[in-house]
Amino acid sequence: MRRRTLLKWISGCLATLCASVVGIPGVSFVLQALRKSGSDGDRVRRVARLKDLPVGKPVAVPILSAREDAWTVHPDEVLGRVWLVRRKPDAKVGAESIPQIVAFSATCPHLGCAIQHDAKENRFQCPCHRALFGLDGERVAAKTGVQKNPSPRAMDLLDCRLVTDETTQEVWVEVTFQKFEQGLTKKVLKA
Amino acid sequence: MQSFLNWLDARTDYRQLLAPIRMRVLPAGPRWAYSTASCLLWLFIVQLVTGLLLMLSYSPSTTTAWASVHFIEQTAAGHFLRGVHHFTSHALIILCGVHVVRVLLARAFQAPRELLWITGLLMFPLMLVWAISGNPLSGGLSGVSQIEVEGHIIGSTPWVGPLIQRILIGGEEAGHLTLTHLYFLHVGLLPLLVIGLLLFHIGQVIRHGLSVAELGGPQDDVSRWSAPNLTHLIAAHTSPLPPPRLKYYPYQTVRNMTVVTVVLGIISAIAGMHGAPLDAPADPTLPHTPRPEWYFRSLFELRRYFVGDWEFVATIIIPGAVLGFFVLFPMLNRKCSPRVSLIHRALVLLVGVGAWIGLTGMSYLRDWNDAEYLASSAETEALSARARDLADRSLLPPEGAITLLRDDPKTQGPLLFARHCASCHSHADASGQGMVASEPSAPNLHGFGTAAWISGKLDPQRIVSEHYFGKTKFTEGDMVSKIKELFDGIEEAEAAKMRDDLKLVAQALSAEAALPRAAAADHDAQAPIVTGRELLSGRLACTDCHKFRDQGELGSAPDLTAYGSREWLLGMIGNPQHERFYSGDRNDRMPAFAEDTEHPERNLLSPRELNLLVDWLRGDWYEPPTTSIPAQRRNATLAGN
Repeated sequence: MRRRTLLKWISGCLATLCASVVGIPGVSFVLQALRKSGSDGDRVRRVARLKDLPVGKPVAVPILSAREDAWTVHPDEVLGRVWLVRRKPDAKVGAESIPQIVAFSATCPHLGCAIQHDAKENRFQCPCHRALFGLDGERVAAKTGVQKNPSPRAMDLLDCRLVTDETTQEVWVEVTFQKFEQGLTKKVLKA
Repeated sequence: MQSFLNWLDARTDYRQLLAPIRMRVLPAGPRWAYSTASCLLWLFIVQLVTGLLLMLSYSPSTTTAWASVHFIEQTAAGHFLRGVHHFTSHALIILCGVHVVRVLLARAFQAPRELLWITGLLMFPLMLVWAISGNPLSGGLSGVSQIEVEGHIIGSTPWVGPLIQRILIGGEEAGHLTLTHLYFLHVGLLPLLVIGLLLFHIGQVIRHGLSVAELGGPQDDVSRWSAPNLTHLIAAHTSPLPPPRLKYYPYQTVRNMTVVTVVLGIISAIAGMHGAPLDAPADPTLPHTPRPEWYFRSLFELRRYFVGDWEFVATIIIPGAVLGFFVLFPMLNRKCSPRVSLIHRALVLLVGVGAWIGLTGMSYLRDWNDAEYLASSAETEALSARARDLADRSLLPPEGAITLLRDDPKTQGPLLFARHCASCHSHADASGQGMVASEPSAPNLHGFGTAAWISGKLDPQRIVSEHYFGKTKFTEGDMVSKIKELFDGIEEAEAAKMRDDLKLVAQALSAEAALPRAAAADHDAQAPIVTGRELLSGRLACTDCHKFRDQGELGSAPDLTAYGSREWLLGMIGNPQHERFYSGDRNDRMPAFAEDTEHPERNLLSPRELNLLVDWLRGDWYEPPTTSIPAQRRNATLAGN
């Protein structure tokens, strides 16, 4: 019976080998979905010319980005929007006047709606749950009513800087666009 | 383990269910030949598993099919699985053939196994249809052309043909619905049909056991083996009867598994090394000569002998008659003595296999001797390699893979040139490779804008050759006489100096073209280029007729500023009679291809086509780096996992 046991053992081994020829790549193929898709790429964007920004009046600019979807790349899709606020007056450093620009993500930290500008009150408000923010991005209380501000934190400040274009010599505002988790009191970068 | 199996058996009786196979005794002992059935079953399961896995990433539509298949090819696992799926389909068809021949030789179709034989035979054409319904799913050139031809063949069948054709193609011509319909066939209907037949087939095998002929028993005794009796079989095994009666498991199983391992090993090796083919994305504007798969070559050859209204004889009647004959063969063979039956079967086999090999061989021989077909097939392969290179470069636009070659100057340039330019201009190198006009009446544009090409135009002999102005009215013009004048009555030493000067001019003019392929050379030759420019507007006085930068006037000869640049060529081809080029009656016969800038649709060339043509003339197209990108990406993915 030794021979019979050996043949059973060989059959089992060969069957396992054959199954794994397809099985192992199969599992690996299914696990592709766990792979981080595409590069998030460079999210630093020149969003507006300085001369186009009025002092004290926020301007919304879209952040365009190529969006990768498996085998397709969608060029120039709106990744998100940013509110630019040029504060008045320009800061003085010696004789030089430096424009003060701040950039806020237009995504509400509460539940992610698009924050809009209320021109009458000159402040930001989220249309979904009436979160209110000043031009400095901090939460403000509504003048009327007892409703609490639903936003857990101030608007999300984004890194921005002024850059001079080498060819046209124009001054541009450059923003590093990031997304943050909603509903948290702390600003946490989205994974 | 044993206790778990006992537990399981107590609840499922699995041992008894498997007993007809496991405990079956093979009186003639285990044989290698028996393993075809087991091997077919294994490969069938491999197809089901790999097919299901590929469905994870495949998307059937004309915009996404090719792109999603290329996406699958980007990972090592996807590349391998698709390769296994592809080559296993071929292996299944070969093994099906071997299996049928083996059953025929063993006379295993005799009563009571007629249904086993018939279901097996019905599965064979279904497997073929299943295999070819998978080919076009990649959205590749050859697969889609194949299904179009197959649609026409079905459509030429009298009465129901056109109806079935429309249902198969999903409309009048190949499109989204063709792919979804084929997908339905490939992953829905055909698997259900084949699995249904297969279960019946296997049920019959268990019911009837091995055939009497295979068992070597008496021919007439069919009942003895018809119902396997477990206790009887076990008793047969345990009783010490000579010769030793071996059970199916493991004595036959180990042979089966060895064959399966070898076959699967060969398939995996081919799949790993070559992978499944991926043609250029289907595009009716690309040149392509469709050919069927090898297993349909015999019918393809047969079609040659039945043309016109008689085509359905080759496509329907003959294959149908052959299948019918085989289905009825057990009845025809029933009454024969073993000897007569053997002669019958040998005859059927010889005629059948002989005809198949003969027709298939003739079809391939015809193609191998057909230079036109070979050229077309090489062109398809080149287009396919090009499409893959372009797709490896970046992800695809939302419009899909068809844009890869449509927006590629290297692909479209020769097609546009052949259609619009090649009746006058050649585009061939010194050895005559490329497009040669049958009656060239204008300059050969191969290498246009390079220093070498311009040097020829500045040579008193070559300018009047047919490669330049020889066949145009400019051969009598000022340019030719001016070049000749430069060399008139001068010593050989001075002529050599003149040739060197003209070489510098050619270099300077080539720098104006700013050809991407010459960028490095132009950058390294700043000094000669500056000297060339000085000669051009200075001592050689080209600017007497030509405008060059701020020297000279327009109107008497083409502008040399940015000569051969993209924008210059767009203007020249668009309208050669513009004052920058050959205004008035100085133009020879060159048509204006894009004269109407207000209404581009009225022009001979659309803006897109004009751009592609100009980019191609200037050699301005993407070339992949010499190291293979897919290999790199694959390795990166492996490392990522």
